[in-house]
Amino acid sequence: MSAFKGLTTIIMAGGRGERLFPLTRDKAKPAIIFGGIYRIIDFTLSNCLNSGIRRIYVLSQYGSFSLDQHLRVSWDLMRPELGEYIYSIPPQQITVDRWYRGTADSIYQNLKLLDEERPRQVLILSGDHVYKMDYGLMLDFHRSKGADLTVAAVPAPRREASAFGVLHVDADQQVIGFLEKPPEPPGMPENPDYSLVSMGIYVFEAEVLVRELIADAKNPKSQHDFGRNIIPQMVGRRKVYAFSFKDPVTREPGYWRDIGQLDAYFAAHLDLLGEKPVFDLYGGDWPIRGHLSPLPPAKYLGQHKPVEVTDSLISPGCVLHEARVSRSVLSPQVQIGQGAEVEEAILWDGVKIGMGAKIRRTVIEDGVNVPPRFTIGYDRKADARRFPVTEGGVVVVPNNVVLEGSG
Amino acid sequence: MKTILVVDDEDAIRNLIAEEMREEGYEVLTADNARDALKIVEDQPLDLVILDIRMPGMDGLEALPRILGLKENIKVILNTAYSVYKESFMSWAADAYIIKSSDLNELKAKVKELIGSGS
Repeated sequence: MSAFKGLTTIIMAGGRGERLFPLTRDKAKPAIIFGGIYRIIDFTLSNCLNSGIRRIYVLSQYGSFSLDQHLRVSWDLMRPELGEYIYSIPPQQITVDRWYRGTADSIYQNLKLLDEERPRQVLILSGDHVYKMDYGLMLDFHRSKGADLTVAAVPAPRREASAFGVLHVDADQQVIGFLEKPPEPPGMPENPDYSLVSMGIYVFEAEVLVRELIADAKNPKSQHDFGRNIIPQMVGRRKVYAFSFKDPVTREPGYWRDIGQLDAYFAAHLDLLGEKPVFDLYGGDWPIRGHLSPLPPAKYLGQHKPVEVTDSLISPGCVLHEARVSRSVLSPQVQIGQGAEVEEAILWDGVKIGMGAKIRRTVIEDGVNVPPRFTIGYDRKADARRFPVTEGGVVVVPNNVVLEGSG
Repeated sequence: MKTILVVDDEDAIRNLIAEEMREEGYEVLTADNARDALKIVEDQPLDLVILDIRMPGMDGLEALPRILGLKENIKVILNTAYSVYKESFMSWAADAYIIKSSDLNELKAKVKELIGSGS
């Protein structure tokens, strides 16, 4: 605990998540269901808990009720009498009359909170990333370098790197160049097929952060964003270091995904599956805390034919009847009827798949009733007439549509 | 002509500063509380605000981010009898922090440095 004395931890969780529409039409992105029983923010919160951080501010804005509700239901475990807390803070309009204009502005608007806490360092996290990380190692690195700012970084394939901030570092890990979302990301000297990208996770010296935020707030040309404005303006002027995020066991670059759009949401689910998943929820050493519900175990019913389930995650309360499920993630209380086939599907809470229905490469929101013999994911044109279909060909079935007929 | 807003709840101090700034050739507006000051910032073109901290109602440190929220380019000098607020993060958003004195030379020099001389 003492390692985190003098540290204030802030999770930014206010973004609109437009590229995750329609999943975000009534929810904050960090409150979206992920991996059956989790919400995306559970990974960052669990990382805090596993790292020993028990004082956390969550800056919310868009769809804040969904987030507050989740924090109340699943994360009401801090002990205020020990100085522990998770507080959710929407724009309070006590310093300025406006919404959060960007990531940097969300912290600027809460300067008073930093003034009251007077931390030495501020750890800034994001509520929409999937990864396991010990923030203590990053804090140690930051302090050992005497850095003003440390940016967590991980190699990403060059063609994907243009979605991120790309770092150029010297042999001592000092950042000597930063490009936000470059169309042609430069490769790493030792590995030209990869670029070193910012994970959007920062440790700041508190006083440096305050001065940078104030200067940024006064700049009318700024978009008040860490990646676009604050970080590039600090490189070369302040001591900025990159912390290489590595798997503590293999020493290979760690698994980290920004769930920024629907195809990434879908792909990150497939990473959970298989005997040796790319991202393992079953390690045991780094528990991820999800929603705990008093539901009965999953039940498989096979009167004439067995239920066939392969490479899937099945949550409590699910009932599967003589169905075939493969490479799928089922949230609690999903029901699948006789003869139905479900392949590479993400089914949220309480989804009902009727008898003989066929579902492939589809995300289905909570409570949707798929009628018997209905098919989704087999005819892209037909799907696109009814539902959003992503660039990667993933169908999304929101729960504000009624499915009728046999498709 | 450069315009300055003087915000102070004490009449004597506010009038003294206003008078001296007019003599320096600046156009001067005044407010005896932060809420009126915010209204003026919103409605009038201004170059600089001289802002007291301890005032009844909204204090200067609460008013400062609101002033910058309305006009981010406006220069602000905190002018207070107390030095303790200098440590407050909230005060760091000001362009200068000056301890009140009957001798206004330091204040005048700072105003000139920030927005140039009057008229």
